[in-house]
Amino acid sequence: MEKNKVVIVRYCEIHLKGKNRGYFERVFMNNMEKALHGIRHEIRRPSGRYLVENFDESRTDEIVERLRRVFGTHTLSVGYKVPAEMGAIWDAVLAVAPQSGTFKVQSNRADKHFPLHSMQLNAEVGGRLLAERPQLRVDVHAPQNTVNIDIREDGEALVFCDLVKGAGGMPVGTSGKGLLLLSGGIDSPVAGHMIAKRGMTISGLHFHSYPYTNMQAREKVEDLARILARYTGGLELYVVRVTHIQEAIHKHCPEEMMVTLLRRFMMRIAEHQAEACGAQCIITGESLGQVASQTIEGMTSSNAVVRTMPVLRPLVGFDKTEIVARAREIGTFETSILPYEDCCTVFLPKHPLIRPDLRKVELAESHLDIDALLEEAYASLETVSIR
Amino acid sequence: MIYLDNAATTAPDAEAVKAAMRFLGEEFYNPSALYRGSFEVHRKLEGARRALLSHIADAAKFGLVFTSCGSEADNQAIFSGARRGNFVTTEGEHAAVYRAAEELSRRGVEVRFAKLDRCGRVDTEDLLRLVDGQTSLVSVIHVNNETGAVNDVAAIAAAVKKKSPRALFHSDGVQAFGKIPFRLTADIDFYAVSAHKIGGVRGVGGLFYRKGAPLHPLIFGGGQEGGLRSGTENTFGIFQFEEAAKRKFAALSEDFARASRCRRILEEGLDKDLFAVLSPEDGSPYILSVSARGLRGEVLLHMLDDNGVLVGTGSACSSKNRYSRVILACGADEATADGVLRLSLSKATTEEECREAAAVVTRCARELRERMR
Repeated sequence: MEKNKVVIVRYCEIHLKGKNRGYFERVFMNNMEKALHGIRHEIRRPSGRYLVENFDESRTDEIVERLRRVFGTHTLSVGYKVPAEMGAIWDAVLAVAPQSGTFKVQSNRADKHFPLHSMQLNAEVGGRLLAERPQLRVDVHAPQNTVNIDIREDGEALVFCDLVKGAGGMPVGTSGKGLLLLSGGIDSPVAGHMIAKRGMTISGLHFHSYPYTNMQAREKVEDLARILARYTGGLELYVVRVTHIQEAIHKHCPEEMMVTLLRRFMMRIAEHQAEACGAQCIITGESLGQVASQTIEGMTSSNAVVRTMPVLRPLVGFDKTEIVARAREIGTFETSILPYEDCCTVFLPKHPLIRPDLRKVELAESHLDIDALLEEAYASLETVSIR
Repeated sequence: MIYLDNAATTAPDAEAVKAAMRFLGEEFYNPSALYRGSFEVHRKLEGARRALLSHIADAAKFGLVFTSCGSEADNQAIFSGARRGNFVTTEGEHAAVYRAAEELSRRGVEVRFAKLDRCGRVDTEDLLRLVDGQTSLVSVIHVNNETGAVNDVAAIAAAVKKKSPRALFHSDGVQAFGKIPFRLTADIDFYAVSAHKIGGVRGVGGLFYRKGAPLHPLIFGGGQEGGLRSGTENTFGIFQFEEAAKRKFAALSEDFARASRCRRILEEGLDKDLFAVLSPEDGSPYILSVSARGLRGEVLLHMLDDNGVLVGTGSACSSKNRYSRVILACGADEATADGVLRLSLSKATTEEECREAAAVVTRCARELRERMR
């Protein structure tokens, strides 16, 4: 009996998008295709969901794993597509149904020519399953498993059981583009993930301070970008050297202002690079009060140099433990905690300024040739395409 | 480019690679197979074993197991020898011994660490004080891989055996083999070496063992190496090691004298105001460890890299394990430990290279001090 394995993908909010729905669906489809790059498959879109079929069945788990990370995915099921006839359906039910526990059968008959009504089909399949597997019990209200049978109009039926939760959100590419400040710590990848989840295309910007930082630290950031790219379908990572900016601040400005002033330079470089790559906002992993530079005064000071675009701080109200939980969930935590120095810690003052006063900060900065330092930093830009 | 990180690895001896290439070509056979060609490879393998043994040991009293690296050899000695009572070692051991000791401790063997002097030599009195009737194994590194300090392992082994005749004695000889004149004595039960520190390729190490010493396999399988180390033999790597060692031992005293001159040139070429020498005067001539106190060794390392001089460092630029455990155990403070550079030589290092390297190192350190000021 012919029985083809399929993955059924249901999407999230796209159905809310009135006239734009076609656009959202196309982007979602493209993102799924990208996620499955390198695996033979076909994706079709029969009413209201996507069907992945004609793939190598030994790679089913990998397909599910890749697709559940695509933003816009609500749930997925692995099941079978069979001819809409009782023998084939029963065969598929045996393949997907659990061995024990409680269950119910839920049928949906779009093709009204199928000889049994939905209710009759439920009763028939449920009864046979009970006879076949004595450790099963029926519970129609809160079953542990639901065996689904969809009789479709094209003479075929879908049979599936389990529901896998998808990443949720909106397809990446439907909400503009943002530039994520990616430090190598725990927070920034989580911030990028949250914004990408709302459909935004993400590029990354990393600052290094060679020779004060090493190549391992940079490799770690590339590794983090690679993990993020699994959700976003690839991203561009820009890498800028801020060594001379740090040295100039160290030489000419009060020690306790190092981080405050460096953050302002980073924001200037970010805005410049965002404009250059067509991003409409800057995204940071700042969380209110987490470290000295992330107080409201610290944010005010760094925000003040950004002229033309919003700075999104999706983690601003999160506790560290909440951020860590998310980092673990998206798979960046283990990489983030590798012990390489990021450039913020090289000239780290013993007592950084906690509540910088904007006027004093601007005064301290007036000892620096800001434009020349920025030009030098822009010139050091390297681009790494993460796929 | 001037390569001064030979304690990390040396360039493979090209002549030795050439000589061993036939084991990747016409003589690729598995030495355990039964046809003529493979038996021939087996015989040559045994010849290589005897030749390597002859450099430092009496082949009638010692055996040699080929392993995949020095770390494996250390591990095999330690997990064979320290199965009960206590294990006595030093604070100056390579991670292959130190981390194995931590694992022993998790397995319920008491581990005791003997103190070091300022240069990284073990305090023998302290070591002997730790040895008692319950000591199953003592492990003392022969040449300290960070400072180059040489421990007189033959004398220490004799003293250990005198105090506790049942105790076994192991030494990590990775930085000594082929570089320091030395022969195994009857008091030494195990001695670990590695090919790639003397012109061999990576992937080959060896454990010398006194015949009769209790040695157990870490890797079980087809029973190669007399059942002590299963796994199909790395014939190419072993023959290349043998060839490289042959050439190294033939020139040992000549190389030793040249390395001593080179090290002196390096030492004298460094700015005394910037660098403190951590290595002892009578240490291995192949290792010069210095500290640019107040500067960060790794930052200096990157600057030297940009200027064509490749060196090692005692510290890693990371917040965890930032300072070398061994350098701190020598009594150095954190600022000294942070600024450590390890310059290590090989037989290929020239005096001219050392003069130039010393100038570049001094120049970079001055520049960094200026930039950090």
